[in-house]
Amino acid sequence: MKNGTVAKDRPVLSLSKVSKRFGGVVAANEVTFDLYAGEVFGLIGPNGAGKTTLINLITGVTPADEGEITLQGRNITQLPTHTRAKLGIVRTFQHPRILDRCDVYTNLAVGADLAGRRRVSSRNGREDRLEQLLDLAGLTEINLNDSIDKLSYGQQKLLEVVRAMLSQPLVLLLDEPAAGLNRAEMDHVVKLIKLATQENIAVLLIEHAMDLVMNNCHRVTVLNFGQQIATGTPEEVQSDPEVIRAYLGGAAHAAR
Amino acid sequence: MERAYRRLDPKRVVFTALLLAVCLSIPRLTDSYMLRVFNIAWITCLCVLSNYVLLGMCGQNSFAQAGLWGVGAYITANVVMKLGWPPLLALLLAGLGTGLLAFVLGFAFFRLRHYYFTFASVGLMTILNGLFMNWTPFTGGALGISNVPSFSLGSFVVNTEEANYFFIFLIFVIAYLLIKKLYHSPLGRSFMAIRDNEMAANCLGINSLLTKSIAFGITGILCGVAGALYAFLAGYLSYQTFTYQQSTMYLIMVMLGGTSAPSGAVIGTMIISLLQEWVRPLQNYMQFFYGLGIVLLMIVQPEGILGGGRSLYEKWHSRKRPASTVAK
Repeated sequence: MKNGTVAKDRPVLSLSKVSKRFGGVVAANEVTFDLYAGEVFGLIGPNGAGKTTLINLITGVTPADEGEITLQGRNITQLPTHTRAKLGIVRTFQHPRILDRCDVYTNLAVGADLAGRRRVSSRNGREDRLEQLLDLAGLTEINLNDSIDKLSYGQQKLLEVVRAMLSQPLVLLLDEPAAGLNRAEMDHVVKLIKLATQENIAVLLIEHAMDLVMNNCHRVTVLNFGQQIATGTPEEVQSDPEVIRAYLGGAAHAAR
Repeated sequence: MERAYRRLDPKRVVFTALLLAVCLSIPRLTDSYMLRVFNIAWITCLCVLSNYVLLGMCGQNSFAQAGLWGVGAYITANVVMKLGWPPLLALLLAGLGTGLLAFVLGFAFFRLRHYYFTFASVGLMTILNGLFMNWTPFTGGALGISNVPSFSLGSFVVNTEEANYFFIFLIFVIAYLLIKKLYHSPLGRSFMAIRDNEMAANCLGINSLLTKSIAFGITGILCGVAGALYAFLAGYLSYQTFTYQQSTMYLIMVMLGGTSAPSGAVIGTMIISLLQEWVRPLQNYMQFFYGLGIVLLMIVQPEGILGGGRSLYEKWHSRKRPASTVAK
């Protein structure tokens, strides 16, 4: 499943001792990791572990209390959300944030518009690009003129991934892309992730579906109460006693 | 990414041509009093179109439109009468000047979140009206400015009601087409992204503050141009024209027509402008009827006439073609 070659020379995105507290709750405690081009990096942990907070910190939706976030060597910790997006950090949301009064076309075009603002429209210039993405997402049957609420929940989530891919990001942050999806739709998520790695995008994947994480991630980090308790290959993490105790329990074995 | 399926629908072309023919023959069909009503209505359309851009596309509600309309009118009068510059230049300066003013103010106001922008716009409207009344060197104060010359370009003077009609209608059509174009542009889409989901918009690289300010700037341009046209047409400017009530009226017009397409703004404006004339005997009760009408409209048809028409159309079509195919 995984694509073997990951350029390990220089990380695209680096988090160094990034911390965030909400009152007395530590949502992220000195979180540190590197993300490489063409890599799928899994972020797992129990509910409330601080996974979505971490995506919010990377995108700048929530400002970090401490630590440093760098994109291609550039410190972006203080930059606003829209600037980070323009630099190539694009995300999806746990509950799809679609433009609910717009048609399907507009919902997709805002992604391509970001590529335009980033001046990287080489791939989107290809006529079959949108077709390719919609095909991988299993959305070829939808009418681009339809209003977005004609799409099912799963289709909206997939559409959000397509929208993100159209922006041709450097870093793609996927917040539980498979949650609430049926088996077939999950396969489409996997296809889109694979295309992202082929296109050298660094993917950060938050997911509870363990088989999806274990089969598709090159490396995984486990978060518990904002604390990284283990980082490594899926195999290493699965056999880590602390991870099993804190999160996986029987799930890891069920996934095998 | 291009919209591949955009084709010229023959039905649409015929409909547009018919509509255009009707609009162009209005001067032949009406007396000069009604023609003045239509002229004011097309000018009003520009202000209400600005409501479509700001509220309909960008989701931001402003009560300052009539104030911006006044700014455009007073700029025009001053440029033409005090500086003696050509009317065309005055028209452009009114648009750009008012647009710039709105953009800069928007940059300050949109730092306020949620509906506080609307509060700020109410304040702006009040301040502008106060300025119109008291800043005598620029606005003529309570006496206003009289004898603003008509629009002219070289030896071509727009001084009859009929000539004004075609001139104003031409400007309206240009503005309307530009707004249609805006709707299909990345800027227009960024307005709609902010309206529908501001956080998602930010995460797609859209700068909320800048984008909303641009939307307010476009509002300023439209109202400024409308103000210039009004100054040329009426020839007399009074602070009593550019009031908070007028802004409210623009809002009622766009609510009545619907905010989902620019045509809603035109439909709403035309209905209310013409209604005002037809029910003149009942004028004392008009405010009451507007209020009641809006309350009923929001209950029965919150998306305005346009929304009602669309759902009727869809209902009729689905009856004609049952089981239309939706994805999967």
